[in-house]
Amino acid sequence: MALDYRKCAEEIVANIGGAGNVVSAAHCATRLRLVIADNAKVNKAVLENIDGVKGMFESNGQLQLIIGTGTVNKVYDEFLAVTGLTAATKADVKAAAAAKDPLWRRILKVPGDVFVPILPAIVASGLMMGLVEAIPKFWPAFGNSDWYSFLDMIANTAFAFLPVLVAISTARVFGGNIFLGAVIGLLMIHGGLLNAWNAGSAENIAKFFNIEIDGVSPYLVDWKSFTGTVDIPTWKLFFFKVQRVGYQGHVIPVILAVALMSTIEKWLHKKVPEMIDLFVTPLCTVLVTGFVTMTIIGPIFSILENWVLAGAKWLAGSLPGAVVMGAIYPWTVVMGLHHMYNVIEAGMIAQTGLNTWMPIASAANFAQFGACLAVALKVHNQKTKSVALPSSLSASLGITEPAIFGINFRFMKPFLCGMAGGAVGSLFGALFKLGAPVYGVTGIPALPAVNNVGLYIVELLISAGVAAVLTWIVWKEEAPAAPVADDTAKTAIAAQEAKIEVPENVVISCSAGEIKAPVVGKVIPYTEIPDPTFAAGVLGEGVGVWPETEVVVAPYDGEISSVAESKHAVGITGPEDMELLIHIGVDTVAMNGDGFEVLVAEGDQVKAGQPLVKFSKEKIKAAGHPDVVVTLLTNSDDYENVTIHQ
Amino acid sequence: MTEFKYLIQDPLGIHARPAGMLAKLAKSFEGTTVYLTKDGNTVKASQLMKLMAMGVKAGDEVTIGCEGGDEAAAAAAMEQFLKENL
Repeated sequence: MALDYRKCAEEIVANIGGAGNVVSAAHCATRLRLVIADNAKVNKAVLENIDGVKGMFESNGQLQLIIGTGTVNKVYDEFLAVTGLTAATKADVKAAAAAKDPLWRRILKVPGDVFVPILPAIVASGLMMGLVEAIPKFWPAFGNSDWYSFLDMIANTAFAFLPVLVAISTARVFGGNIFLGAVIGLLMIHGGLLNAWNAGSAENIAKFFNIEIDGVSPYLVDWKSFTGTVDIPTWKLFFFKVQRVGYQGHVIPVILAVALMSTIEKWLHKKVPEMIDLFVTPLCTVLVTGFVTMTIIGPIFSILENWVLAGAKWLAGSLPGAVVMGAIYPWTVVMGLHHMYNVIEAGMIAQTGLNTWMPIASAANFAQFGACLAVALKVHNQKTKSVALPSSLSASLGITEPAIFGINFRFMKPFLCGMAGGAVGSLFGALFKLGAPVYGVTGIPALPAVNNVGLYIVELLISAGVAAVLTWIVWKEEAPAAPVADDTAKTAIAAQEAKIEVPENVVISCSAGEIKAPVVGKVIPYTEIPDPTFAAGVLGEGVGVWPETEVVVAPYDGEISSVAESKHAVGITGPEDMELLIHIGVDTVAMNGDGFEVLVAEGDQVKAGQPLVKFSKEKIKAAGHPDVVVTLLTNSDDYENVTIHQ
Repeated sequence: MTEFKYLIQDPLGIHARPAGMLAKLAKSFEGTTVYLTKDGNTVKASQLMKLMAMGVKAGDEVTIGCEGGDEAAAAAAMEQFLKENL
């Protein structure tokens, strides 16, 4: 091992003003690309001499460190680890704060971090699945139609292959290769394994509970076929007996497996010589993870599952037990164990003819619906609202994953409020001995089957009501911590305070984009600017604006690339590296800063409309200069179709 | 690399307009890259923004470096420009 990546990364961090000075970090084939908040804190001389850094330069507002192929990714990983930045390349203030959280909280945060990126998939599927599966409960004929099976297939795809989505997302969270993560996820639901949806270890569980299934559900037709006949095949590997069962619908075992994978991968990247790293590391990573997953993580989980199931069955048998179960039910959803409750329900129907588990599950699920709905109504953040609303709808139909993972569990307090609602609802259900002769449904779709519709509705309302009211009181929206949003807000406020008019008219357009006027006023082409150099286009093509106001604003989002010492001109680099020079007045360099107030500094990130320079038209006039605001695209040669708009 | 030093005479230094002209000239040499160094900071003279950001003023000594192609001719043209304008 030639280079100590950790040391290299630490030295880089130390010489760029610390982790706090990094806005974002990314890497390409050879270079570590950093966006730095305050360039003054960067110690360039030392940076270049760090062992591992082969060179450095600044470009496009990025500090680029040349590190080399095959090495840069490792330094980058360490860099992320050292700085606490995420691979998402955003200055994630929250993540930085989270690093200080106690271990248990960081562990609880993982499922949320994993689920946020895959929310669109599961929100869509959850809602669709809830609807598609609810219709036959009210209109049985639909359940036999081609449309039903077709729509159901589309709806359940994301859930059937959930481990793959979870695996990819987990790999990203833990810094592993997402494709290797996908392989582990795919492995866990491989076609060569028995599908866990078809009972998983159902037969064993049926034996475990000594359930004889005679009572048949009208809703789950092939229960008998799979419990009666499926023999779970096993492999014998060393002294492990591995059941060939997949992990469909599972979350926690997948997260554990891929977290392990990422750890192994990163460790190997460090230890394996670079020359053979490319094939040795992925090979060993997949092999070891696959083996450990199937022989250790998997079996531990199936034992845990059996315990949970046994515990759940025992709890459901008593009144206080029902209350406890109603409370802890969502935790079993988080663990992905709720798919196995069919066994308990089927057993109940077989023994007593009445499924009293359903009211508990319904209370718990409906409480999550209530909590999620409360969040949807209370939250101001549009993005959260747009997730919370469909998620709560889906939860009311019995599919709670989107609500739990997307909203409640992430914010935790709504989840806990939901537990309380579930407990109260379950108590009510158990007191009035609610139940149904069917299983596999909860929430609204269970309405047609339940033994007392009126009381069942009351139970649902209690569960959701308690959870919603508690959530409304207890949960408060966190103030947005994202720095960008913050800046935008500040800009807006600053603009408002000064009553600055932000021009909306586009003055220059080219293949790289459009540039708005930096100041309100009459626009003239650069050829009419009263100065031979500007008019000749020596500094690039553009326009002049005879200003009506006295504030120059940023014409696009970008970075201040230069500020003239005499304060009369600023350069701003924007999208596609467009470099715009905003030069206030002609020959105003001679005023030596008098009459100008610069509001930004070199290296500042600015937003379109943000004030850059205040100037006094009166002083420019008094000094005998034209006050035209020269606005030139200095690298207009680099773009096509440069057009000027008056 | 052909190099020469020049002491800036113009009281206003390399502000926007001369910078633009300098950058245009520096860009015009096919196959030759022109660098400008002040106090240990080096920029490509063809990069207008970078050049302006240097804030070169009267009394500053700058080093012009020309690399590749016809270095001598580029250096001569640069020197003449500086003498005439700055």
